[in-house]
Amino acid sequence: MHSRPPGKIGQPVIRVDQLGIAYETRQGLVHAVREVSFEIHRGETLGLVGESGCGKSTVAYGLVNYLGRNGRIVRGEIQFQGQSLVGRSEEELRRLRGDQISMVFQDPMTSLNPVMPVGEQMAEVLTVHRAMPKDEARTRCLEMLRRVYMPDPAKVLERYPHQISGGQQQRVVIAMALLNNPALLVMDEPTTALDVTVEAAVLDLIADLRRDFDTAILFISHNLGVIARVSNRVGVMYAGELVELAAVDELFADPRHPYTQGLLRCLPRLGRSKASSLLHPIRGRVPAPDRLPPGCVFEPRCDYARQACRAERPALRALRPGHHTRCLFSDEIDAAAWAPPADEGRPAVADSRPAAAGGDPPAPILNVAGLKTYYRHPSASPLGVLGLGQTDYVKAVDNVSFAVPKGRTLGIVGESGCGKSTLIKTLIGLESPSGGRADFIGFDINRRVSQRDLAIIRELQMVFQNPDATMNPSYTVGQQIERPLRRFKIVPPAQVHAEVVRLLRAVKLDEHYYDRFPRQLSGGEKQRIGIARAFAGRPDLVLCDEPVSALDVSVQAAVLNLLMEIQREQNTTMLFISHDLSVVRFLSDDVAVMYLGQIVEIGPAEAIYAPPYHPYTESLLAAVPIPDPTVEQEPIRLEGSVPSPLHPPSGCRFHTRCPRRNLLPAGGQICETTEPPWQEAGGGHRLYCHIPLETLRGLAPVVKAQA
Amino acid sequence: MPPSSPATVLPARPARPPLAQRLRAGLDVLLRSRVALVGAALVLFWVLVAAFADDCLIQPACWTGSPDYTPTPWLARYPFDKGVGPILGAPSAEHWLGTDRNGRDLWARLAYGARIILTLAPLSVGVAVLLGGALGLMAGYFGGVVDELISRLLDTVIAFPQIILYLIIIAALGPSAANVVLAITIAGAPGIARLVRSLTLDIKTRDYVAAAQTRGESPWYIMAVEILPNASGPIIIDAMLRVGYAVFAIGTLGFLGLGLPPPSPDWGSIVNLGRRFIAAGHPWDALWASLATASLVIGLNLMADGLSEETQRYR
Repeated sequence: MHSRPPGKIGQPVIRVDQLGIAYETRQGLVHAVREVSFEIHRGETLGLVGESGCGKSTVAYGLVNYLGRNGRIVRGEIQFQGQSLVGRSEEELRRLRGDQISMVFQDPMTSLNPVMPVGEQMAEVLTVHRAMPKDEARTRCLEMLRRVYMPDPAKVLERYPHQISGGQQQRVVIAMALLNNPALLVMDEPTTALDVTVEAAVLDLIADLRRDFDTAILFISHNLGVIARVSNRVGVMYAGELVELAAVDELFADPRHPYTQGLLRCLPRLGRSKASSLLHPIRGRVPAPDRLPPGCVFEPRCDYARQACRAERPALRALRPGHHTRCLFSDEIDAAAWAPPADEGRPAVADSRPAAAGGDPPAPILNVAGLKTYYRHPSASPLGVLGLGQTDYVKAVDNVSFAVPKGRTLGIVGESGCGKSTLIKTLIGLESPSGGRADFIGFDINRRVSQRDLAIIRELQMVFQNPDATMNPSYTVGQQIERPLRRFKIVPPAQVHAEVVRLLRAVKLDEHYYDRFPRQLSGGEKQRIGIARAFAGRPDLVLCDEPVSALDVSVQAAVLNLLMEIQREQNTTMLFISHDLSVVRFLSDDVAVMYLGQIVEIGPAEAIYAPPYHPYTESLLAAVPIPDPTVEQEPIRLEGSVPSPLHPPSGCRFHTRCPRRNLLPAGGQICETTEPPWQEAGGGHRLYCHIPLETLRGLAPVVKAQA
Repeated sequence: MPPSSPATVLPARPARPPLAQRLRAGLDVLLRSRVALVGAALVLFWVLVAAFADDCLIQPACWTGSPDYTPTPWLARYPFDKGVGPILGAPSAEHWLGTDRNGRDLWARLAYGARIILTLAPLSVGVAVLLGGALGLMAGYFGGVVDELISRLLDTVIAFPQIILYLIIIAALGPSAANVVLAITIAGAPGIARLVRSLTLDIKTRDYVAAAQTRGESPWYIMAVEILPNASGPIIIDAMLRVGYAVFAIGTLGFLGLGLPPPSPDWGSIVNLGRRFIAAGHPWDALWASLATASLVIGLNLMADGLSEETQRYR
């Protein structure tokens, strides 16, 4: 068969041939997956990548026959270890498949039973399926937890799922999946719910397991960086079809399907600065499975589309051994020779710093000094009921200081729970600060939004994270953009409609959207409306809370470009929160790295992404999945999870997880006792660390691109 | 899907006033559900009978209550308060459902009784929704002390069985239409407030509420404009069920002699007066009035069930 890597002989563990899966709906049969063929051998990982709704998970569910009541395999063949799985009864399937296929899902918390200790759940797999005695099962479980590098495995066996961290939960789920030594492991977005540092450790584990257990793995993810890190071969899915299938190095170096090329062009790269980068989104959106174009499914969005593409649906064909594409012109199109189409029409983003070279930066528009936001935490002692107990505080934001000059963007990065969102909620007045000072264009904004002047409120707006919640489902797009215009009296009432249309055009939507309801829009469109609404009052400062984290990459690129463009036109200052270091790099002039409510490093973007690093920044950079298998990253992994902000560690808050403490004398005892000093590294770059700058400067860059 | 910019991806559609669009969407949902359709037919039957029991609807002189105007019965065929046939007559071609002990036509009494029940029940639920909705919105949105005060107050009311509440209020204030509405409002508002409070707690965490807050909108604007419309689906369905309960409650009060004073053709009173003649071989009063009550309540419940099923399916 096709798609066999050279040198691989013998029977594949699983062979999928021309698989078609359909769901029965009121509108008739919807073909969610069509003509998908691949095979996976022992010790091989096939990565399946694509945007949401392209059928990746449906393929996985098809393999384990878990399609729900209305889904079924309508054509094609699935052979597992030489035997067909299609058209057999439930009981036969169970016997054939037995314990040979295991599955790992996205959210570890929903895969584990919350009322059973971890050890009992794990042992159940063995005692029930294999009738193994309890003692033996326990020993096996303990051994398996050790294999997945679980710290303190004997203790973990006694704990309940909620008592261990998310990364540890996912390790338990993976260990459980491996207990029966399965021939095929299906992983559906196993790291999507995890933080970037935890994700990196889990991906390392998956790579090791494939080697140790000689298992075939089907790995599904929307994240090209993750796919690049774990896969041997990669299949790209689009609108229910496999459009390209190749070895991982070849796919990233020489993609031959226009969709794959487009996906790679959408991604912000760590190595590029704000000034030099421009993302090229794929226009349009994924067609619904019941409204496919007649020819090639990608034709309406393709830059190379020709008459032949509209006439017939291309078949998956071998371009050369091991590289298959579903494009008629794969031999001709070259990713390197691609030029942006004329109608994208935007020159490379000019440096957004008005006085970048030479002169002083403009005066700060936002000045934050020693800002604190604490949440009261009810005391555990019974005296608390009487108001006598000592009140505990969750120090969500603790002593944060920074300044943002006009027209610039400050990116804020950090793992979840580090206080990023609380910080901007405090600045915009949704939370009350507990201490410190915050000045915005000379006015004190250290109070809740309900106590602020309308004039200040108007200058300070926010873009939200969740596209499905950012718009009120009861009102049309036009009504929702009108509201800030009327409220802040931006334009005379007679011109409100014209202004809304102008704003819609500014976010690249046309006036037909005026009367649409949010439910008629896609996620990217909703996020554009959210941006239009935030910019409607022509604010001086816009706070963005992860505005693209819920979007698919091709849409994310368009929204990021749009944000940058509007910012340049209106000379708006922005605070941009993200957990994604590549996105922050793309959009920000300055970057602040937060850990446990404090800023640990702040400075110009290019200084943050190069030595000297704060050890925390260094570990984040080492963990980012990079969509390029040739890039090498230092193998630095953080242990454990972020400590509770209720009782943060003494001294330097990062000392419990710091991989660089041993660079200090006495193993960094000073880190536990003394708060670190702010060290100036020049050019406004400051680090909050005990380690001398010279030592930090001497460390190698974390991300090494191959020359 | 046509190529080029995302703006042209969806076909342009002519602008239509949002209200008409929403009404039509609601009607579509109703028509799609067979259960809701059966319920709606039952309810509509009684609404039509009540509306066109006589020609009052088209005679302005009748609305103003001028004493020298006597309405002409239409669907009711006879006036409800005059003896027009035999005493305790069985159903016949003349008198479809029979006549009562005063010789009054039972169909006419039911038709006019529908008028009372179809005015009082929705009215009392409407007032309860206004009161309970406002309390629930405030409790949910402000939280803290406001929530504690409102919730504990409502818990106190809920602690009493509803029928006891009705009896206390009517016994204290005397039987009249206004007091029936008052009793049902006081007994029903806490339940509605709880529902609205829980919906508000959920909706106030959405980003669009935060967006309104960061625009400096007042709490009242946010509650009325941002939160309430998104809670309206469950509230409407709950209100529809409550109209059913209110029909029962009014019937019960009438049966206990606490409803509207005679000669008002209250369905509950008809059952109450008629039950004495069941053993005497004249079950018609009690039977027809009970069936009328049951059909209206079933109709309202089916409608609410069907609607909630459909709206949940398409959410």
